[in-house]
Amino acid sequence: MVKERKPGRANLWVLLALTLLLAAAMAVCSLFGAVDFEWDEIRDSQIFWQLRVPRVVMSVLVGAVLSVCGAAYQSIFRNPLTDPYVLGVSSGASLGAAVAILLGWGAIQWGVSGLALATALLTVLLIYKIASIGNRMHTTTLLLTGVCFTLLISAVISFLMVLNHEKMDDIIFWTMGSFDPSRISWEDVWVMLPVAVVGIGVVLWYSRDLNLLLAGSEEARSMGCEVEKVKRVLLLFTTLMVAFAVSSCGVIGFVGLIVPHAVRLVVGADNRRVVPYSLLCGAIFVLVCDTLARTVLRPGELPVGSLTSIIGAPLFIYLLYKSKKSY
Amino acid sequence: MIGLRHITVRFGKREILNDISADIAGGRITAVMGPNGCGKTTLLRCVGGLMQPTGGDVLIDDNPVGSYSARALAQKVAFVRQQAQTDLDFSAFEIVLMGRNPYQKRLQNESKADWDIVEQCMRQTNTWHLRFAKPNQMSGGELQRVMIARALAQQTPVLLMDEPVSNLDIAHQLEIMRLLRNAKEKTILIVIHDLNLALQFCDDLMLFHGGSLLYQGPIAGGLTPENIREVYGVPSHAAEGRIIYDY
Repeated sequence: MVKERKPGRANLWVLLALTLLLAAAMAVCSLFGAVDFEWDEIRDSQIFWQLRVPRVVMSVLVGAVLSVCGAAYQSIFRNPLTDPYVLGVSSGASLGAAVAILLGWGAIQWGVSGLALATALLTVLLIYKIASIGNRMHTTTLLLTGVCFTLLISAVISFLMVLNHEKMDDIIFWTMGSFDPSRISWEDVWVMLPVAVVGIGVVLWYSRDLNLLLAGSEEARSMGCEVEKVKRVLLLFTTLMVAFAVSSCGVIGFVGLIVPHAVRLVVGADNRRVVPYSLLCGAIFVLVCDTLARTVLRPGELPVGSLTSIIGAPLFIYLLYKSKKSY
Repeated sequence: MIGLRHITVRFGKREILNDISADIAGGRITAVMGPNGCGKTTLLRCVGGLMQPTGGDVLIDDNPVGSYSARALAQKVAFVRQQAQTDLDFSAFEIVLMGRNPYQKRLQNESKADWDIVEQCMRQTNTWHLRFAKPNQMSGGELQRVMIARALAQQTPVLLMDEPVSNLDIAHQLEIMRLLRNAKEKTILIVIHDLNLALQFCDDLMLFHGGSLLYQGPIAGGLTPENIREVYGVPSHAAEGRIIYDY
């Protein structure tokens, strides 16, 4: 099936509609959780303003960040199956976070996120070095490298946990991924917000270059893209975002894979549309997942990472199947 | 237009190009010929700024290629590669539109002028009817023509083409060559294997043999039976302005 689609930037009306949808979802989702609120009782509620709202804002930020990073990675590595989780970058960040906690850096400002960033960057660089053959990225090598890193790092983290029983809870939190309200406060939100705004801004700024990168490094270069510079800047800022997301809420898988993919099936591959739409859809997706995670097993909680996978994977398979039929 | 100053390229110990110096005049079609592996593609990559020669300089409008930004160079030189990527999830129209990138500001949408240029280039290459098709829905020849349309959309004075017609049937080969012939103001460097096609459509010849430039000048004077025998090891004779192989 060949469909006519007008090339170009994202449609402002669609962006506006999605933004309104996100705002409405945030308002509604804030009401539900371990404790449900009524509209008239939220004004004076400490629980609502100090626990629920920062959690909701954080889930929106993390959803947006992971989806945008997924979209960016898929173009940089020219592979639709990459995202921060599959590539092992999230795991890399969680290793840094775990080591920082064991070293007792939890109290130091930037200690945990700083080390998470360092190990995440190291992971990206290693994967990039190992998987690039000449100027092409080899798909199988790329994915296998990511899987191996994830396995290796989870082994190292298990080892660290066995050696340090007393800090096990803290570390499990990072490997499972959750927006645990006892760990997420307004301070965390104020750290995450500027990182997300700047990082997403950079990806949006380079969104046309991402299209060119999809056509290959040399093609991109001969069409006027400063390939090496663009790749370096984008890898730095996306990894920065992933590291901060992981240090505040742990590893949440598949978001960066599913959201841009779903968006692409609807609006096509042009990153000038894929990046902004993924940003808003990813925010809504993680917000809804986290709301479900804290309500379905009340008063218990599901790890949100398992929920994103349970919801995301079948949807992903369905979308893939549908797109195959349309040829 | 294009100046080659003592270009040498080595990969490890292997010497691909050995001290090539030449001036390529503007507004002419130059055939780059020679057996496989003699450094034709490497030369084009050096001119297109895709690689740095081990020694020497490529000058475009008297400035070294390395002194141009990627954007400025993309307004001077367009490149059609030997093999186009088939797994790209963009329509032909979007692919050709990418050729307008060096003229666009960031975050700016394509203008009406960009769209018109793309339509014109796609009509020239007989690809307008394919504008909504994706690469995996096109034949090799159709995709090649789309890539040529994209290079034309860059509106560059210099056009580098690495075997652009090797995948095409004879009708499309002739169509593309006639199109290049009609682009009178462009300086075109084309790697081409068909001696008679080159003879018919190209002005000049750069004939490579073992990393060295054996001949540079008007094509008719270069494709002699002696040169063809020396470079390809194939005996031939000329008859009525065409080359006949004696095999």
